[in-house]
Amino acid sequence: MRPSPRVGFVAGLVLAMSCTAPAAAQDAEALRRELEQMRKQMQETQAQYERSIEALSERLRKLEAQPPAVATPPAPAAPVVVQAPAPAEPPPSAPSAMDLLRRREPFALYGARGPGQFLFDMGVAGDFVANFVKRSAERTESGTFAGRENRFFPREIELNLFGQVDPYARAEVRIEAGEEAPREELTVRLAEAHLTLLTMPWGTQLKLGQVRNRFGLLNQLHEHDLPQTDRPNVLRAFFGEEGLVEKGGELTWVPPLPFYLEALVGVFNGDNDVAFGNGRIRNPLVTARLRTFFELGDTGGLQLGASLATGLTADEHRSTIVGVDAKYKYRPDGWLHPLLTVAGEALWSRRTVAIASDDPDVVAAEQTRHRFGWYAYAELQPFRRWAGGVRYDWTEYPLDPGREWAVEPYLTFMPSDFLRFRIGYKHTDRSRPLLTDAGLAPRTMDEVFLQGSFILGAHPAHPF
Amino acid sequence: MRRIIVFVIALVAGAALLAPGAPAAEKIRVVTTIPDLKSLAEAVGGDVVEVDSLTRGTQNFHEAEVRPSMMLKLRRADILIENGVDLDAWVDVAVVGANNGKIIRGAPGRIDVSRGIPLLEVPSVRVDRSMGDVHPLGNPHFSLDPGLAPTITQSILDGLVRLAPEHRAAFEANRQAFLTRLDGELARWTQMLAPFKGAKLVVFHPDFIYFIVRFGLVQAATVEDKPGIPPSPQHVVRVIRQIKDEKIKVILVEPWNDVKLARRLAEDAGAKAIVFASAVGAVKGADNYIAAIDFNVRTLAEALR
Repeated sequence: MRPSPRVGFVAGLVLAMSCTAPAAAQDAEALRRELEQMRKQMQETQAQYERSIEALSERLRKLEAQPPAVATPPAPAAPVVVQAPAPAEPPPSAPSAMDLLRRREPFALYGARGPGQFLFDMGVAGDFVANFVKRSAERTESGTFAGRENRFFPREIELNLFGQVDPYARAEVRIEAGEEAPREELTVRLAEAHLTLLTMPWGTQLKLGQVRNRFGLLNQLHEHDLPQTDRPNVLRAFFGEEGLVEKGGELTWVPPLPFYLEALVGVFNGDNDVAFGNGRIRNPLVTARLRTFFELGDTGGLQLGASLATGLTADEHRSTIVGVDAKYKYRPDGWLHPLLTVAGEALWSRRTVAIASDDPDVVAAEQTRHRFGWYAYAELQPFRRWAGGVRYDWTEYPLDPGREWAVEPYLTFMPSDFLRFRIGYKHTDRSRPLLTDAGLAPRTMDEVFLQGSFILGAHPAHPF
Repeated sequence: MRRIIVFVIALVAGAALLAPGAPAAEKIRVVTTIPDLKSLAEAVGGDVVEVDSLTRGTQNFHEAEVRPSMMLKLRRADILIENGVDLDAWVDVAVVGANNGKIIRGAPGRIDVSRGIPLLEVPSVRVDRSMGDVHPLGNPHFSLDPGLAPTITQSILDGLVRLAPEHRAAFEANRQAFLTRLDGELARWTQMLAPFKGAKLVVFHPDFIYFIVRFGLVQAATVEDKPGIPPSPQHVVRVIRQIKDEKIKVILVEPWNDVKLARRLAEDAGAKAIVFASAVGAVKGADNYIAAIDFNVRTLAEALR
């Protein structure tokens, strides 16, 4: 009988296995040894890790048992060794035109932020004022803070958010709340919101949005930053109680000169209804400003400026205001504050007005009114926490005949850089009684101001 | 009116065109926020750079006033070197007013030397202004520690090379030469102060902690109640008592601080108030980095003797 092929295959397999069996047994032995060795290594490593963890835990326990330390452990004195620190991060390159055209990912950094990190600065400023006047001034609402005479009120509570938008732009948003009329809810409004493009060519910079215009010295300052409790009468007469706050854009240029010069030109809606009021970008309010500065030795500094604002009024008549300003500060060497500050502004207004006639058939005549006003103040700060000064201002009324002058001495106490109390007295003298919505105001007026201001959180440094 | 505007624009444009611009091509214009960094930048940059500082050594850098003259310097700068850690945060306002895209935050021309510095007095608890003018990121006065000069100058070198890679060899050679000299001086200073290791000092404002730690001394108290807050009479009494009890010999005070009060306090407590060079140029003779540290070491060794 011939063996079947299947039986032959099985027999061959068994034969082959029996021949290779000793070699496989040797391999298995080697593998076992190798595994045993690895197991030992693993056990050693594990024991080592356990020892390290125990040591670290012990250290942590000891550290936690200690009172919280403010300083990190002192570095031991050692000779200077030249060594490279951690490799530098690749520097961001200056944006080219192509960079600016390329799609950006503004939220990439936001996504990578840690918990509680906003990536911008935030601050709150509070400004409270108490205004005391005679009953006649209260009745006719002719005080500096019209309608809020003989009241203590929050004039401005400001939330300020500012920071870099991306490597090319900064932004700032200020939201304000304040009392505008007694026994009414506080009015919340957008005080400022603007974007500044920082990498424009030829030393220019573009600011877009709603801004406090850079006209003169004080217009750009917020209420809590003013050197006195109130804005000078001339600014209030020419621009209103809020000052010039406009929506549009302004381009600044600092030319490469051997001395400092800043040139600014702006185009805005012209919403300010005291001076302009046309409110259309087709007939815009155009502003301009030149500012220069001179160091007077190591201790003195003098800033000079000239400003212009020209636009149309609500009834489409031209209104132009020109101003010049100067500010001098004397700060003895090593002092943390100026000893003496002297500053002032002068403004000229040229405004065309329509003189209506009683006869409806007669076309209203046009008349050009030239008005002038100025203010100046001097402040002494002999001690870091105390400052006192006096302001004088004189102004013609921009539309009506007549003029007024006022003098305001004041004393400021600053327990810290973020807290300030001020007391001021203001005497106003008008050339004629003033007609307000509430009646005929007295010709002279005496007021006392109490002011308390505070800053919480971040607040940008103030320029000169 | 239109004629006046056109005239002014033409005048400014003409002046700008005629203004000297050539030096920019010859030297790298470096502006630093504080004079210590000016001295170190000059040491690294050598003849290739022209360095100016925005502040003087006699000033308190926390409260520098942003003047348009700062903006003028920054307008022409190729590089701005800042200390960082909130000491010179005011520089951002000056940079925005300078209209110079080369030195805005994040630009290649901006160097923050606090990178890589092992900061001291980093608060380990939540901070707020009830603690005074605390720095949430740590004490920013590290430039007074000569042992940190290698790290600071490395940051300066990196920044300069970023802008002028062709001068790398010169910058590296300058830095090496400066650090070799500083190394020798540091050994001498350490030897001078070695006998006083562990000696307790009182400081007016915590400006000198890096210097104190470097030379193995101990800051026992501050005259200020809290950083930046003038001392209350009760606190002054406490400090006087501590000086007497612990037999502290020296009070360190910055030239911009209340030197009179420090002297009066020292007199009452039987100690000595010495005006320290809180920065390069803060006192006579401290005209550069090595001279400022040398002044401090010599004055302190003399007072502790």
